[in-house]
Amino acid sequence: MSHRLDRVQLAEGVFFSAVTDPKFKHNRISVNFITPLTAETASDNAVVPFLLRRGCKSRPDYTALERRLCQLYGAGLDADVLHFGKYQMLSVSIQCVDDRFALEGETITRDCAALLADIAFDPCITAGSFDEAATARERQFILDSIAAEINEKRSYALLRCKQEMCAGEPAALRKYGTAETAAAITGQSAAAAYRNLADNANIEIMFVGAGDPQAALVIFQELFGGMHRSSFAYELCQRMPAPQQVREHVEEMELAQSKLVLGLRVDGDEEDYAALRPIRVMTALYGGTPFSRLFNHVREKLSLCYYCAARYDGATGLMMVDCGIESENKQKAQDEILAQLKVMQEGGFTDEELQSTRLALRGAMKSTTDSLGGIESWYLVQILMNSEVSPHQNAEAMSDITREQVIEAANRVHLDTVFFLKAKGGDAQ
Amino acid sequence: MKNTVKSNRLGESYLRVEHPSGLTMLLCPMKGFSSAYAMFGTKYGSVDTTFKTDADEDYITVPEGIAHFLEHKLFESEDGDAFARYAATGASANAYTSFDRTAYLFSCTENFKESMEILLDFVTHPYFTQQTVEKEQGIIGQEIRMYDDVADWRVMFGLLGSLYHNHPVRIDIAGTVESIAQIDADLLYRCYNTFYNLRNMVLVVAGNFDPDVVIKLADKILKPAPPMSISRKSPPEPDTVAKTRTEVSLPISMPVFQLGFKGTPGDAARNLKSQVENEILLEIIAGESSHLYRRLYDQGLINATFSFEVMAGRDYLASLYEGESRDPDAVAAAIRQEVARLRAEGIDPEDFARCKRAAYGRYIGMFAKVEAIAGLMMLAEFAGVDMYEFPEWVANVTLEDLTLRLQQDFDPERSALSVVTPSK
Repeated sequence: MSHRLDRVQLAEGVFFSAVTDPKFKHNRISVNFITPLTAETASDNAVVPFLLRRGCKSRPDYTALERRLCQLYGAGLDADVLHFGKYQMLSVSIQCVDDRFALEGETITRDCAALLADIAFDPCITAGSFDEAATARERQFILDSIAAEINEKRSYALLRCKQEMCAGEPAALRKYGTAETAAAITGQSAAAAYRNLADNANIEIMFVGAGDPQAALVIFQELFGGMHRSSFAYELCQRMPAPQQVREHVEEMELAQSKLVLGLRVDGDEEDYAALRPIRVMTALYGGTPFSRLFNHVREKLSLCYYCAARYDGATGLMMVDCGIESENKQKAQDEILAQLKVMQEGGFTDEELQSTRLALRGAMKSTTDSLGGIESWYLVQILMNSEVSPHQNAEAMSDITREQVIEAANRVHLDTVFFLKAKGGDAQ
Repeated sequence: MKNTVKSNRLGESYLRVEHPSGLTMLLCPMKGFSSAYAMFGTKYGSVDTTFKTDADEDYITVPEGIAHFLEHKLFESEDGDAFARYAATGASANAYTSFDRTAYLFSCTENFKESMEILLDFVTHPYFTQQTVEKEQGIIGQEIRMYDDVADWRVMFGLLGSLYHNHPVRIDIAGTVESIAQIDADLLYRCYNTFYNLRNMVLVVAGNFDPDVVIKLADKILKPAPPMSISRKSPPEPDTVAKTRTEVSLPISMPVFQLGFKGTPGDAARNLKSQVENEILLEIIAGESSHLYRRLYDQGLINATFSFEVMAGRDYLASLYEGESRDPDAVAAAIRQEVARLRAEGIDPEDFARCKRAAYGRYIGMFAKVEAIAGLMMLAEFAGVDMYEFPEWVANVTLEDLTLRLQQDFDPERSALSVVTPSK
């Protein structure tokens, strides 16, 4: 399957995109509001999808809404907030089994599309405000989610490293905002945020699945017919240089295991998706597979950790390396991670390693077309990066990346910040 | 011997092959998919701590965590590790150990034959030395430490340790730093030679591949396994729970909890069917479309993290709710009260019909991904059924069936609450 993206513009800044493949058993439809992430607006925007998820004008009662979803053969309705580069993405989505499995000939997909359209575009806003009691519950959930950042120590350490490293940049902002901005959410401020999203955000409606997207397209077309609104063009984050002196931060916590994070910056002003391929191959060879440099040396040879991995974010130009270790091994692990970076920069990897990495990346790319979520997020990222490459095309292009390109990319990587989440005391009990 | 297993409901089928080596193979090619997903599994997990074969005189009790340790070590051979071999084919490989099985898997979009050859070869060729065992103790030690800090993991073992007095399901799959220190190469070989007999194993493949390739490779690589029967010994487990409440603290922001009901297990097939039925019951009692869910949510006692699951295995069965809450005891009290009410007053037929329909859609939808189908085939085969029975169980379940399960598997007197609280 080529998995062509059929993209139709419904209004200024509003697109309906569909990818269909008869091998699937579900249809998945999502409405994604994309808006610049700012410290001032993050929390009010973030609460919106969760308020939308609780009900709409046609189904204001949550329990009645849930019972409708059961009738639609257990369709799943979800709300989500994502941070991508400069942007915040607020999403509501529905996933249902295809009409061919309906026991009584119901049009499940059309009904789900209509329900999602109501959820996203006909919310329970009265006199310019969401219900205050409902807002209070969802505000608490946003506050809890912010406080919960500490719960997963690996992601917490990564987040903290980014915050220290990127103060003042969009990469350091949190997708839910801060406890202060979240505490200030009211029914009115959330309704105003919703109004702004509906009028000024870019709206990407995605349909991925086995069924015919036509009925869904018609429903959304009718909603946006003749609507006047604004839009904006997507940009990547501006690349910032690493400082002369590496920054070090240590935070102590009652833990069994310490977490070491190295925040690195990749120079370059890549403007398109294709230009990011060499650094992606480099990152995978360095620390993205179970035969990578970091896995083989920090874990297998030195036996210092269970995981040691590198990842690269094309939207921000940041590379993060992290591992979980005993406190006393911090320097040893850090030295080895940087020694392996030097190996990459000097071209001290084999052609076999490069070939294996390209193969692994090809496989990972191609398998994204085997799941609805994989296809949806692939094309959303393509849209956000002003690209139109299919996973299969990208898989082929990965195979052309040369040793020289990988070495060149590795030499653009510079250490910026070392963040150490240090376990104090013994076992946490 | 080969036969085709069909589902009229889904209009799909797979091939079941009993290979001369003793291995059972389940092969499900899927049109239109880019990837193939293969799993080579053994009916051996963390709960198999005391066992013998018909050739052994006495039972042996092995250190906790050895099944998982063996999983790690099997990746190594005299000439390098399996990850390095897979690197040349482009497959993405992994393995996992659960309470009652261990599985080695890969996913690929090209070079399927080469990857399958690696899988069949390394799993059937153990190589353990004292030196490599010691190296692994460091790595697994860090894996255990990592889980020590994970609240969801700790709350689950808090619950299992409360529900069960003696059953080894109460023990961490990876063991402890102390227990894995007792593992040596000889013990690993003893476990391997018992549980990695092909008659105790299954190979499942789903997605983009040709079944003949798998059968030919099996002919080439697999040697006939000697007939063998394995006896496992579990300490006697009373019906009661060991404790009704347990609590630990960790540096987290808000309490997390699991409320579990200790079920009445039958054989493996019965437990799998009970799992399907109890999921519908959990939905009826406190799923998102229930009045109880609404009440707890509106009171701010639960949030979007609230969910439920059934844990079923060879000889254990537990149904549980989990999530974050400022007051887990209040949530537990409300759920126990609702369960008691339903046991006394009966299940509303409308609630039953609604939740059954939702479950039907979910079970049909499970047959949608290569990895899900591979997983279902293995799960079903180890329980002695075929995977197409799952949607049939849901389609045919009656109110009487659920009423029986409610009496057998949801007794508030046989429930326990596990809480992880934020440390001060």
